Amino acid sequence: MIVPYSHILLLSALLFVLGMLCAVTRRNLIMVLLGLEIMLNAGAVAFVGAALRWQQIEGQTMVIFILAVAAAEVSIGLALIVFAYRRTGSLDPQSIKDLFSTERP
Amino acid sequence: MTAATPDTVTTAAVLLATGLPFAAFALIMAALRGRPRLCAGLSIAAITVSLSAALLLLVRHWHMTAPIGAAAQWLVSGRITVSIGFLLDPTSLLMLTIVTAISFLVQVYSLGYMAGDPGFARYYGCMSLFAWAMTSLVVSPTMLQLYVFWELVGVASYLLIGFWYEKFSASEAGKKAFVMTRTGDVAFFLGLLLVLVHFGNLDILKMNAGDVPLHMPPAMITLSALLIFGGIVGKSAQFPLLTWLPDAMEGPTPVSALLHSATMVAAGVYLFARLFPFFRLSPTAMTVFLAIGTISMLLASTMAMVTRDIKQVWAYSTISQLGFMIMGLAAGGYVAGVFHLTTHAGFKALLFLCAGVFIHTFGTNDMFAIGRAGGRALKIPMICMTIGAAALAGLPPLSGFFSKETIMGRLAGLSNPLWLGAGLLGAFLTAYYTFRLIFAVAVPAPEKSGDEAPVGAPHGGHGGDPHHDRHYRLMAAPLVVLAGVTLALGWAHGALGRFLTAVDPGLDAHPAAHLAWLPYVAIGLALAGVLLAWVEFGRTASARIGFVERVEPVARLFARRWYIDDFYRWFLDRVVYARLSAFCDQGDRRVIDGGLDAVARGTVGGSRRLSVLHLSMVQYKMMVIFAVMGLLTLYFFLG
Repeated sequence: MIVPYSHILLLSALLFVLGMLCAVTRRNLIMVLLGLEIMLNAGAVAFVGAALRWQQIEGQTMVIFILAVAAAEVSIGLALIVFAYRRTGSLDPQSIKDLFSTERP
Repeated sequence: MTAATPDTVTTAAVLLATGLPFAAFALIMAALRGRPRLCAGLSIAAITVSLSAALLLLVRHWHMTAPIGAAAQWLVSGRITVSIGFLLDPTSLLMLTIVTAISFLVQVYSLGYMAGDPGFARYYGCMSLFAWAMTSLVVSPTMLQLYVFWELVGVASYLLIGFWYEKFSASEAGKKAFVMTRTGDVAFFLGLLLVLVHFGNLDILKMNAGDVPLHMPPAMITLSALLIFGGIVGKSAQFPLLTWLPDAMEGPTPVSALLHSATMVAAGVYLFARLFPFFRLSPTAMTVFLAIGTISMLLASTMAMVTRDIKQVWAYSTISQLGFMIMGLAAGGYVAGVFHLTTHAGFKALLFLCAGVFIHTFGTNDMFAIGRAGGRALKIPMICMTIGAAALAGLPPLSGFFSKETIMGRLAGLSNPLWLGAGLLGAFLTAYYTFRLIFAVAVPAPEKSGDEAPVGAPHGGHGGDPHHDRHYRLMAAPLVVLAGVTLALGWAHGALGRFLTAVDPGLDAHPAAHLAWLPYVAIGLALAGVLLAWVEFGRTASARIGFVERVEPVARLFARRWYIDDFYRWFLDRVVYARLSAFCDQGDRRVIDGGLDAVARGTVGGSRRLSVLHLSMVQYKMMVIFAVMGLLTLYFFLG
């Protein structure tokens, strides 16, 4: 391998942490969704590196699966964000927490 | 000594005598409250069988030389065995006969007295409960079983004293009786525990057998004797727990006749007789008992001299006579004490039942009001009451004379003449207050205005002619029977004495001192009391004020029961409620409730803080997830 396996894993880890930070600190639900996407793709990078390291094609098939799952998840997530925007009129995570209330009115 | 095994007839008789009243009680209370006459019939049938069984046992075992008993093991714990069963010896056979006979007569009397009362069925249920508890107490072989039935008798007493519970004073009196006897029973139980711990079991025969000193040091014997006597003080209304008995007169008169004169309060004296050899092991304790009996006797006599209520006079008289019995027993006179118990049961029940007829007819308890309303016109009660009063005063040839003489003989045998002097003084006072009542009813004052209002009884008076009333006949028959017994029982003294000591001749070991002048002095004092009462109350022109009532402070002292009740009220309010109860209350509210409230508040506050993470923005939740992931990573790769 041209690039040592540990570097690929380090890249994957850094990407994952950046995605985590993006998901946790942004005030816009769509940016939270972006952060989730970055985390998923970081995982995909780790799988590709592993496929190269052990010369097994299954790693790359796993990436195809991840992309499919990410697409489905984003479509559902965007639908939920549209619903929340219609209910509360804003994309701030603070404003939607009352939708999670479990108290009976 | 050990008990001989009983034969089938004896066992059956004992079980019937104690069990049938229980069956009657259970049936009445559970199912038959709506049918009063059936309840009365059931209860009377049960007590009749009990009476027959008791008489059968008495006749069958008249010549017994050893106690008879049977017991089954109930609980075993380590080296302590608790058994239930029965024990028959002469004293218990005699007491069983007394209890069942007087219960029977009182229940028949109640058919007339309580007729028309809305609680008629409940009354007979409680009467059966009492009969069961008292008969079982009498035949108990161990102190623990006796204690159980002792408490049950107290429950029956509470239920019957507060029978007319809508009346506040009646329910208060029931409560007071129960609490005061319970206080004595605490001491009783402590004494039993001491005996149990040191001696190993509570079997009556074993406790009396004489090897208790091998297991218990003398100080411990004295202490346990004194504590057990605390129960007797409570139950038999001796000083200082004597004020519940006059208040217990709030109950129906047949109840007073049965429980609070002849049987329940006599249970204390019966217990004394039961454990007589055990108590005799401690001369100190016997002296204390003698003192308490003397004080009660004299105190109650003084209280009886100033009261206007018929039933209260007989109540104080009961306390006084029980004190006298205890004096006799404590002086070493076993037969004397038990014989006086027997005769007293007869004539005191008679006196109460006669009073009941007057109360039922005239609707008042005040003796002067009864006299004015024409009490002497009721011939049978008047004559029977005079016979009973003469027996109580100790006039020959009635039964009371014989039993009092025996006790006086015992008191004379003691080294200190103080006791005999007190006994003779008591005899004088007894005759005085007894005949004060008789003359107040028989020789009413001529009409004058401005007399005090009579003490009302909850039982309304009858308007019509009482003599041909069916109820009157039902009430008069037991009076005649008891009067006959009072006349005849004195002559049975010798036979009863031999019967009682047949099993254990050591009971009456030291014979009484035979002072020839003693009977004459006693009769003389009794006649002097009667004469004084006649001078003050019996002559038509007399002022009807007793010599005590002329001295205002003394009369007030006696009427306020020597301020014993006031002392108790003060003690309860200032010491118990204000200090002890308040302290416990503060502890309960601040420490226990406060502690629990603080735990609850802490839980709620903590949860409120932690819920910030839960009920907040979705990103905080994600932060928690990532934090946990990070920690797990560290754990797996570095741990």
